Amino acid sequence: MIEYILMIVAVLGAIIALIQRDLLKAAILTGISGAAIAFLYQFLLAPDVALTQAIVGTAIVPVFIALAVKKTRSMEED
Amino acid sequence: MIIDSQLASFFTAAALIIIGLYAALFLDNIIKKIIGLAFIGDGANLFIITMGYKAGGIVYIFLPDMTVNWFAQNASYPLPFALVLTSIVIGASTLAVMLALVIVLYKKYGSIKASKILGAKQNQETENSIKGDGL
Repeated sequence: MIEYILMIVAVLGAIIALIQRDLLKAAILTGISGAAIAFLYQFLLAPDVALTQAIVGTAIVPVFIALAVKKTRSMEED
Repeated sequence: MIIDSQLASFFTAAALIIIGLYAALFLDNIIKKIIGLAFIGDGANLFIITMGYKAGGIVYIFLPDMTVNWFAQNASYPLPFALVLTSIVIGASTLAVMLALVIVLYKKYGSIKASKILGAKQNQETENSIKGDGL
């Protein structure tokens, strides 16, 4: 049952991250989607991949995106 | 549940790949295009992991009280997992390179919108060609 909720969270997090206008919020929501995929790997019997995805998808990728947004500009211009 | 978790996981991977393709093709912001490419990578990794999943199986750790035949029948298939482990790290490093290129583009053109950058680049090229014809 939990894996279905995690799948829905992963897909919804991806969709909501891409319709945000604030790019910092998009970075945080990318991290939420990555965390859901990491827990899903644990349920798909791959704990080593889940460990790697938990670090890379939840911490490293949003920090990289947030640094790039800080270097450019935060709001999506019209 | 109506569908089993392996099929649902395949659908999740397909949805992630479709969302990422839409973002990479049709959104105008370059950082959102790159987030879409990261989602395509996540979807591909999830697809490969789901291929190795065995419903009702165990994690592929061989404990002393298991027989080899029972382990081979019940453990999930570990080869795709070892490959995906590498693929995740490579995906993160390529994402870092793409974001660095975005910062370079922003310093050169002053915008992170693809249409503005392409328009400025075409204007520059036409100016250069006109100058070249004049010379």
